Amino acid sequence: MAIICPHCQTNQFDGTIFCLECGASLLDELAQESTRQIGAGSTPTGGLPALNPSKTASIGVAITLVVVQSGTRLRLDPAEQLLIGRKDPAKGIYPDIDLGPEGGYDAGVSRKHAILSHRQGRFVVEDLGSANGTFVNGKRLEPQTPIPLRSKDELRCGTLALRVEVEA
Amino acid sequence: MNPGIGLQRTLSCAVLAESTEPQLIYLLLDATPEGAIAQLPKLPLNLCLVVDRSSSMRGDRLNQVKEAAGRIIDQLGQNDYFSLVTFNDRAETVISAQRVTNRADLKQGVARIEAAGGTEMARGMALALQEIQRPLISRGISRIMLLTDGRTYGDDGTCVEIARRAQSRGIGLTALGIGTEWNEDLLETMTASENSHTQYIASAQEVTTVFAEELKRMYSVFAQHVRLSITMRPGGMLRSLDQVRPFLATVPVTEKTDLNWSATLADWTGADLQAFLLEIVVPPLTSGDHPLVKVVLHYDLPGANLKDQTREEVVRISIRPPDQVTRQLDSTVKYWLERLMAYRLQARAWKDVEAGRMNEASDRLRMAGTRLFGAGEVQLAHTVEEEASRMLSGGSASEEGRKRIKFGTRGLMGPTEEHAKGT
Repeated sequence: MAIICPHCQTNQFDGTIFCLECGASLLDELAQESTRQIGAGSTPTGGLPALNPSKTASIGVAITLVVVQSGTRLRLDPAEQLLIGRKDPAKGIYPDIDLGPEGGYDAGVSRKHAILSHRQGRFVVEDLGSANGTFVNGKRLEPQTPIPLRSKDELRCGTLALRVEVEA
Repeated sequence: MNPGIGLQRTLSCAVLAESTEPQLIYLLLDATPEGAIAQLPKLPLNLCLVVDRSSSMRGDRLNQVKEAAGRIIDQLGQNDYFSLVTFNDRAETVISAQRVTNRADLKQGVARIEAAGGTEMARGMALALQEIQRPLISRGISRIMLLTDGRTYGDDGTCVEIARRAQSRGIGLTALGIGTEWNEDLLETMTASENSHTQYIASAQEVTTVFAEELKRMYSVFAQHVRLSITMRPGGMLRSLDQVRPFLATVPVTEKTDLNWSATLADWTGADLQAFLLEIVVPPLTSGDHPLVKVVLHYDLPGANLKDQTREEVVRISIRPPDQVTRQLDSTVKYWLERLMAYRLQARAWKDVEAGRMNEASDRLRMAGTRLFGAGEVQLAHTVEEEASRMLSGGSASEEGRKRIKFGTRGLMGPTEEHAKGT
């Protein structure tokens, strides 16, 4: 089966790692073994904690963040606001989406980096004045200014790239 | 062990799933010198330095170049030839091709260079070609080292013509661009051949290091007339061949006979590691182990008086039922692929810029930035990002940013660093 690039919709050979047309990563299309869901229990890097159950009451739409580098899929179901950041027990910071296990420290992810939320049928992301910035499709967000996220957008926290997949 | 070149191969995935469709796989070939390469006699050098002495070179730039040239003279041996040509609106042979016997005389010649006037490169290149062909050397390395900081006016075509003539006679060209004003398209076209490359020198302080590195590289050449021959299994295809070490460069390949591709490579130096990335289409295959591709490296070892040496490797591929395959991607292959994608994306971005498609260009640069982040090349990724934004807001990229991206993505900027990553 040929792969269809999620970014530019061109047909690519099976096994293609980066789309030959637009350069997007097709890694998670082929590296199924590294696919995992938050709270699914099978976290090979010992990694991501389960979401706080009170925050995952289903709202009928789901958003998945795919860590471009590792292919890890973080399937989220946000009823309220979700904090993206890096866990720091010493400071009592436990983000809903902990990017620490994904190399967040080296990638310059702040402890409280950004907020992902669902408002009036749209997903929005808001930078919390992070040191190394939040980027959507390469554009740095103004702090405290929510920006809508659409499917196939590239979200970047510091240098850690995540691909957005929204499913209705 | 007899001297020679060893080949190591790494596939992007060790095992592929059985499929009725063709699949893509990447093969990384690392080539390393084997045996007592260092004990082979050094090949004589025939080096011609061509220096732009237009008025913009005045001051630090020319001083640094003169000092670097002096150091080259110090390092050359008695069997080496050296010549020096300068150009502005005219060209002059400052030192005609000669053996390096009286260093003080040669250095006096260097000291006399003064900056003035415009830039007419073709005149300098023509004299250089004349000088470098004067010594009669049966074997060795002939190379023109061109250094410029500006644009030549109206003689671009002639410059390329002279470069091609030199290359067809086995004379390599290293073009060094200093500062931001020089024409990278011209220098890159002039050096689009084996044994030739362009390097970007951002500041005058880097000149000495770059000259020294280049000299070291020339002195460590031990294999020449290097050629790669690649034979694919029926139904397979070689989609592309790129050099990734010591710097990124697309290697032109031609399918000479059915399923047999061939590429001419640069002289092999002991100073650098050499590596190549092949993009291969694997035909539909049943479960089992299959030979995929035969790689043969042909080369001469002039220092050992050995001609037509070969090194052969057959790369096999394991095919298993899909449920038995867990795809593990080799991290070294991925690193180089990420760098290669960034290089290709930025090259296409500049084409978009030429055609006035600024949005597309900016998108491509952004994606190039993402690939560079993935490869851990954070500083360069930031430069790419800045230029992408600048392009969208101002409608053009900065000269400096463009050069940093063009040459940085290939690993051809300033004093080159040996990348620890991906090894």
